[in-house]
Amino acid sequence: MNRGYMGRVLMVDLSKAEFREETIPDEVFEKYLSGIGLAAYLLYDRIPAGADPLGPKNVLGFVSGLLTGTGSLFSGRWMVAGKSPLTGTWGDANCGGSFSPAIKRCGYDGIFFTGMSEKPVYLYIKDQKPQLRDASHLWGKDAIETEEMLQEQHGPGARAAVIGPAGERLSLISGICNDKGRIAARSGLGAVMGSKRLKALVLDGKKRIIPYDRKTVHKLSRKCNKWVQFQPPLGPSIGAALIGSLLRVLPTAMAMDGMVYKMILRQWGTGGLNQMSSEWGDSPVKNWKGSNVDWPLKRSKSADPDLVKKSEFIKYHCYSCPLGCGGKCSMTGKYSETHKPEYESVLALGGLCMNEDTDSLFYLNELLNRAGMDTISAGATVAWAMECFEQGILTLDDTDGLDLSWGNSTAMVALIHKMINREGIGDILADGSRAAAEKIGRGSEKYTVHAGGQEPAMHDGRQDPGFAVHYCVEPAPGRHTIGAQLYYEMFQLWKKVGGLPRKLPFQIYHKNSKYRATEKRALETAACSKYMNVVNGAGLCMFGTFLGVTRTPTFDWLNAATGWNKSPEEYMEIGMRIQTLKQAFNIRHGIDPRANRLSGRALGIPPQAQGANKGRTVPIEKMMEDYWRQFGWDPSTGEPTGETLARLGLSVE
Amino acid sequence: MPYTIIDSCTGCGACVRICPTWAITGKKKDVHQIDEDLCIECGACGRICPNAAVKDRFGHVCAMVKRSQWERPAFASDTCMSCSMCIDACPVNCLALSETGGPKDLHGYPWLKDEKACIGCGFCEAECPVGAVTMVVPVPKEEPVKAKPAARAAR
Repeated sequence: MNRGYMGRVLMVDLSKAEFREETIPDEVFEKYLSGIGLAAYLLYDRIPAGADPLGPKNVLGFVSGLLTGTGSLFSGRWMVAGKSPLTGTWGDANCGGSFSPAIKRCGYDGIFFTGMSEKPVYLYIKDQKPQLRDASHLWGKDAIETEEMLQEQHGPGARAAVIGPAGERLSLISGICNDKGRIAARSGLGAVMGSKRLKALVLDGKKRIIPYDRKTVHKLSRKCNKWVQFQPPLGPSIGAALIGSLLRVLPTAMAMDGMVYKMILRQWGTGGLNQMSSEWGDSPVKNWKGSNVDWPLKRSKSADPDLVKKSEFIKYHCYSCPLGCGGKCSMTGKYSETHKPEYESVLALGGLCMNEDTDSLFYLNELLNRAGMDTISAGATVAWAMECFEQGILTLDDTDGLDLSWGNSTAMVALIHKMINREGIGDILADGSRAAAEKIGRGSEKYTVHAGGQEPAMHDGRQDPGFAVHYCVEPAPGRHTIGAQLYYEMFQLWKKVGGLPRKLPFQIYHKNSKYRATEKRALETAACSKYMNVVNGAGLCMFGTFLGVTRTPTFDWLNAATGWNKSPEEYMEIGMRIQTLKQAFNIRHGIDPRANRLSGRALGIPPQAQGANKGRTVPIEKMMEDYWRQFGWDPSTGEPTGETLARLGLSVE
Repeated sequence: MPYTIIDSCTGCGACVRICPTWAITGKKKDVHQIDEDLCIECGACGRICPNAAVKDRFGHVCAMVKRSQWERPAFASDTCMSCSMCIDACPVNCLALSETGGPKDLHGYPWLKDEKACIGCGFCEAECPVGAVTMVVPVPKEEPVKAKPAARAAR
C-alpha cells in the first residue's frame, strides 16, 4: 500500500563499513509519523545511556518528512538528529533545500550512522546501492567547494549534505549544509558528523514517492497556493520598522495573522523584520544587555531589508515551496555570491555585536556557511567575548591583539576566521560561549546567555515570554522554531483542535497579559510544541504553517497522503508522544530538565532599565511548571510520569 | 507491478541504454529482464522497443513511438510557483531552474535544459500540484524545414 512513506531506513555502521536495511512497520509511522518522530523512536533505543556525543556510540540520523514528495507544499525540510555535543541533550536540527526528497528517492525514510570511520569517507547511494567512498581529497575543503566537487563527479542529479571545516574540527557550534548555503545548524550536530569522519552524503536516487491519494493532496496544495500567491505591494521596508516603533510605544499588542508575515517573507525574506524586531524589542542587542535605545533606527539601518534586497538577483525556493523566502545575492570581495543573509544571521552578527558594517554581514554570512558554523551561536559567542573584553576579563593579550570593542567589524571577521580554524583564542570560542566561559573563568560565566549550553536565537523572551519558555523546556534547549505566543496566534490551531483558547487575528489585548503565567498560556505553549512535532514529522516548513492550520492544511495533507483517517486531536497526541519520548531521552541520559533554564539576563533578571522591554521579568519558574503539567510530566522535575508514558504507549526504562 | 519484458525481445539493448535507473539487464541477443526493485515505471523502454517486447504495469504491450514524437514538458510560467518539484521528479535531470530572475519577478522558472535527455515519462506533469506542466508532442520547427531545400539548391 502506498502511504507516502518508504517504510525502510538504512543503518550504516561506519566502524565496520557495513550497511543494514531495516523495514519499519506501519504502526511506527502511525504512532510517530516520519521525520523527527521516526528519529526519536529509533534513537531512543539505539543511543545507550551516557554515550559520548562525539564517540562511536552516538547515532546520527538524517530523516526526511512524511509529506515530502507527496505533492504537498512546504515539504522540503530534512532533519538531523542525535545526541547533541553542545548541550548533552537530545539534539536535532532542521534544514531546507533539495536534500529532503533525495533521501526518500533512495528508498529510505531515514539514513542513520553509528560507529566511527578511521579515515574520511562519504556515503554515496545510486541505484539503491549504498557505498562508502574515500573522502581524503575533500577533507579540509569548505562546504560549497565540497558540494561543487561532488556534483561535478556524480552529476547534477546528485544531492549532497556536507560538513565544512568547522565540523571537521569538532566545533560544537557547527552544522551540516546542503544547497550551497542552507544549513542544519543547531545543536552542534556537524561535530558529530565530523567525529564520525563522515564528510558528506551524496544521494542520487530515482524512486518514486507515491501518496495514497495524490489528487486530493494536489487539490489541497492548489488551495493553499492561492493564499501564498496573494501579494499586495508592501511599500518600503522602513514602514515595517516604523510599525515596530509604534508597537513599542503602545500599551496594547495585536494578535498577528500569518498572512501578514507571509507577505513580508515573500517580499524580503526572513530579513524583512531586521529593523522592526529591534524596534519593538524582539531582537536582543549588545549581548542581551542593550535595547532599542542602544540600537536606534539610525544604526540598525545597516540591516535595512531593502538594502539587503538590492543585491538579490534570484529568489531561492526550497523543494516544494511556493513562497521562496530565500534568495541569492551578489557581493564583491573574495566571494561573488551568497545566500541572502537570514534574519537570525544578520541580528546575531549585527545588533547583538553592535556591528553596523553591512558588507561584513554579507561576508561573515558566506564565511560561516562555507565553514558550516551556526551563525546564531557564532554571533552570540562573539558578542559574549566583546562584553568580556569591555569588562576587562579578556585583554589584548588573550585575544591575540584583536580589539574586541563593540561593533569592531574588522576584529569580528578576524576572530571568526580564528574560530573556524581553531587558532589562538578562536580555539576556545569555537565550542560556544558556555564552554569558552568554563575555560576562561574569571567571572566570565556571568555574561553568557544560553539555555543548557545552546545560545538562544534572536527572539527575546522579555518581549514574547513564549520564546523564553520554549528556550527552557524543549528537549533540545535554546530553540526558537517551536513556539511562542506570536506563533500560536499564527498557527490558529483552535480552528481545528478542540479545547484550545481562541486568539482572533488582529484582536487587541493589553501587553501585560503576555506576562501572566496562566493556564491558558500553558495550553498555548504546549499546543505549539505538539503541533511543531507533527510538522517536523511531516517535514513541513514552519514558515508555511504560519499561514494558519486551515490555509496550510497540515492534518488534511497527512490524511490524504497516508490514507489514514485521523482527527487533528489524534495528530496532536502524536506530537505529544514525540515530545515525551525526546524528554525521556534526556532523562535517560541524566539531564536535569530544570538545568536547561535560560540565563537570567535574557529572562529579565534583573529587569532592563530602559528600552522596549523595560522593567519586564518573565515568571519562568511558574511557566515551566505549567508547561510540564500540560504534558503530564512531573511539574517539579520535568520528568515524564509513568502514567503519561503508559497512556501514550511508550515503553521506556 | 513494474514493467516486464516478453519473449519477443531480440536483445538489441535499446532499452538498456535508455533506462534511467539501470533496471534492465541481459545478454546481447537474449531476452532481457527488468529488476522490479529498480523499475520506476517511466515507460521509456516500452516507447523505444522496436519489437513490441515490453508490457506495462497493466499487462498491455507498449507500442513503439518515434523518439521525435515523444512528449516533452511545456511550462506555463503564469501558474508555475517555482517550487522545483518537477526538477526533482525528473529521473534524467533534464530540467533546470533559470539562473537569474527577471527585473520585476525575481523567481526562477524551470525549463527543459537537456532536450535530448528527456524520456517523455511525464513525472514532472504528474507531480506538479498546480498543473503548470503539460506534456506535448513537440511541433517541428518550421525554419529548418524551409532552410533545407534552400541549402540544397545552393549546392
